[in-house]
Amino acid sequence: MDRTPDPLDRPWRVWASVAILSVFAFSLLFGFVLLPVIQGRAAGVDAFESICRALGIRPGSPSGRQPETSAKAQPTTRVAWSAELMDALANPEAAGESVAGSCAGCHGRDGRAVDLALYPDLAGQSAAAIYKQLHDFKSGSRRSPVMAPLVQSLSEEQMIAVSAHFAAFPLRPLPAAQFPAADPAIEELVARGDAARRIAACNACHGEQSGGPTEAPRLSRQSREYLAAQLHAFKSGERRNDIYSRMRSVAQPLTDKEIEGLALFYAATRTY
Amino acid sequence: MPRARWPVTHARNLTFAHLWFGFIAFGAALVLGVWQMWSRSPLPAPFVTSSTYFSSVTAHGTAMAYVLPVFLIMGFGYFVAETSLGRPLPAPRWAWSAFALGVAGALMATLTIFSGRAAVLFTFYPPLTASVFFYVGLVLVVAASWIWCVLMMVAMAQWKQANPGRPVPLAMFATVANAVMWLWTTVGVAAELVFQVIPAALGLKAQLDVGLSRTLFSWTLHAIVYFWLIPSYIAFYTMLPRAAGGRLYSDTMGRLTFILFLIYSLPVGLHHLLMDPEQSNAFKFLQVALTALVSVPTLLTVFTIGASLEIAGRLRGGRGLFGWIRALPWERPLVLATGLAFVMLGFGGFGGLINMSYGMNAMVHNTSWVTAHFHLIFGGTVVIMYFAIAYAIWPAVSGRAAPSLKAQRVQLWLWFAGMMVMTLPWHYLGLLGQWRRVATFNYADPTIAAWGPWVVVSLVGGVILLASGVLFLLNLLQFNVQREMHAGVVGELYAMAVHPPARVPAALNGFRLWNTLVLVLMILAYGYPIAQFFVGNPPQALVHRVDERR
Repeated sequence: MDRTPDPLDRPWRVWASVAILSVFAFSLLFGFVLLPVIQGRAAGVDAFESICRALGIRPGSPSGRQPETSAKAQPTTRVAWSAELMDALANPEAAGESVAGSCAGCHGRDGRAVDLALYPDLAGQSAAAIYKQLHDFKSGSRRSPVMAPLVQSLSEEQMIAVSAHFAAFPLRPLPAAQFPAADPAIEELVARGDAARRIAACNACHGEQSGGPTEAPRLSRQSREYLAAQLHAFKSGERRNDIYSRMRSVAQPLTDKEIEGLALFYAATRTY
Repeated sequence: MPRARWPVTHARNLTFAHLWFGFIAFGAALVLGVWQMWSRSPLPAPFVTSSTYFSSVTAHGTAMAYVLPVFLIMGFGYFVAETSLGRPLPAPRWAWSAFALGVAGALMATLTIFSGRAAVLFTFYPPLTASVFFYVGLVLVVAASWIWCVLMMVAMAQWKQANPGRPVPLAMFATVANAVMWLWTTVGVAAELVFQVIPAALGLKAQLDVGLSRTLFSWTLHAIVYFWLIPSYIAFYTMLPRAAGGRLYSDTMGRLTFILFLIYSLPVGLHHLLMDPEQSNAFKFLQVALTALVSVPTLLTVFTIGASLEIAGRLRGGRGLFGWIRALPWERPLVLATGLAFVMLGFGGFGGLINMSYGMNAMVHNTSWVTAHFHLIFGGTVVIMYFAIAYAIWPAVSGRAAPSLKAQRVQLWLWFAGMMVMTLPWHYLGLLGQWRRVATFNYADPTIAAWGPWVVVSLVGGVILLASGVLFLLNLLQFNVQREMHAGVVGELYAMAVHPPARVPAALNGFRLWNTLVLVLMILAYGYPIAQFFVGNPPQALVHRVDERR
């Protein structure tokens, strides 16, 4: 049994540590001091500031000036999704009935529009989608001579409450009227879009699974006339509260026939 | 003549089960891979929608990056532990429990993906959030591998106790190096999953810090590549010299290589975040500088393996400056696979140098170049050695002699050819600007139309790879029709060193010193980059579920 330590044990321990920590120290000196100072000098940034930037405790690059801009931001919408807002929409503090009373004239007591040719259904829509539109009507991001004056008096809590209120109602059942069988070209647009015209698939955001942006509304069993009107409004640019012009760029290349087809598809579909 | 003892006891069935499970997952993932290439090509592919495509990519990545390597490394590790140490595996029951856990986890993750509730790709991309079953399935696979790590360390410790002062056989030393490294490696992704992603998937958190989760994943992301790679290096150092008919040039070089992989796999992950804003220039520089040190074990290996092969070639009568190369037994699958793996490692290594260079990375980062690179390195160099390892150990595992070396050679050549035909045009497409993580392209656009022919060539490469994969599985099945062998026929697998070590310093016979150094380096390299997320009020992203039905 030979348990005596090897005479090489200690030198190995020492020199391996020295070698590895020296490489580390060299990289440290180079990356944290030399490079930032030299790069900073070329960009007119002083040494201390350069090192702080390289470390990440001050913003900006050590090798360049901070860009300046005088452009004024013009947001398409002023809604900012936050965990607090999502939580409030899921568990509203105030009850929505009192506000909902004034919506019922058009959108129905249970969120089903009194006249589908004129108004959208709110029942079964996501609370986030309803809230986004109310907020946009109030801020002027979305224009509507009817809705804008109605929402002006609503507080943040009331908008949240009424959105959650209508979202809780079940979707309208499919109407008894027989719809024509879906057009394969329209189904293709829904499932795959049309790459040649840079049209993203509707399903990318409005699909069966909620993969899209928070505010993407549910489309199935929505009013056919309302859907078609909105696509036309996005296409003409009359409606412009879609962030990154997502819907405007999708609607712009659609033909009138496709808009009618898509509106019909969603009005008659069960799952999206 | 005394009846020879079969060299593998518990590990025989364990290795058989692990390797087969890994290879079945591999075969299924290969089919998905070809379909994905087809979907991206100008040829009309069936079933393509964005959701089927991304579910498929998630399944392909999960099977290839987690299931195949974890199961292969576990199975191969059990085999090495028994054959190199010459002792039965400690606690085989734990090993079987780990297998069951891993299989359950892999099936759970797969079923979740195919139910369409986990299209987040295998690197997770938070704040995208899949069904919790996907993540829990993967955690089970990792937990299974942790049991394996402990078993490997226990096996080595028991052997050292029984053989004081003697050097641990290199194959086992390297296997334990991989186990130790894997324990370090998985800390990053485990922290990400347990503290961020799984609470989000359970609905306990409405937002998470994506900067932190990307940083934690980067901790794992580079070292996992070395985890995949180390079995190949074990084959290079311990099995290849013997297969070639020679000796290992230096045992010490081998030990140093595996130690350097352990040290420089971990404090280097930020080079995956060169384009990320949450980390600063200096820390990126530091970790890229440490990344560059992987050149040391790589060059040590090229030299040592080159020298070992030269010894073999000259023993076989090779003369002159390069005559020994021709004299090598290229008809043996392990030798052939090594040659082909080195060619792919050469191409892949040059690509990697571009990726780790800040400026050049900026130009290729979101292009197919990167996808092509990791397919060439992992799918090429690593997986071809997985095949060679399987061929080399299958006689001892199955108890039957290899049926046809020719079929094995054809399979290896097909894999090499397929990988070249697939990845070289793919790299080129990346340089042309073809973006990655995309299901389909609009070939009506004149710029993109020019990519079309190269994508089709790449797809042809994918089909060749599928053919090779099928042939590989058939080759393994072919063992079953052979006659059973006597134990005495199973040859020695591991090479002797030119100067077999009688004693080695403690530093080259264990991992205590190196673990300490890794800890120091990790604190220095990742301490501030992680700590910064707990200071002040860093921005949070809303959790974005992909598994809810409307």
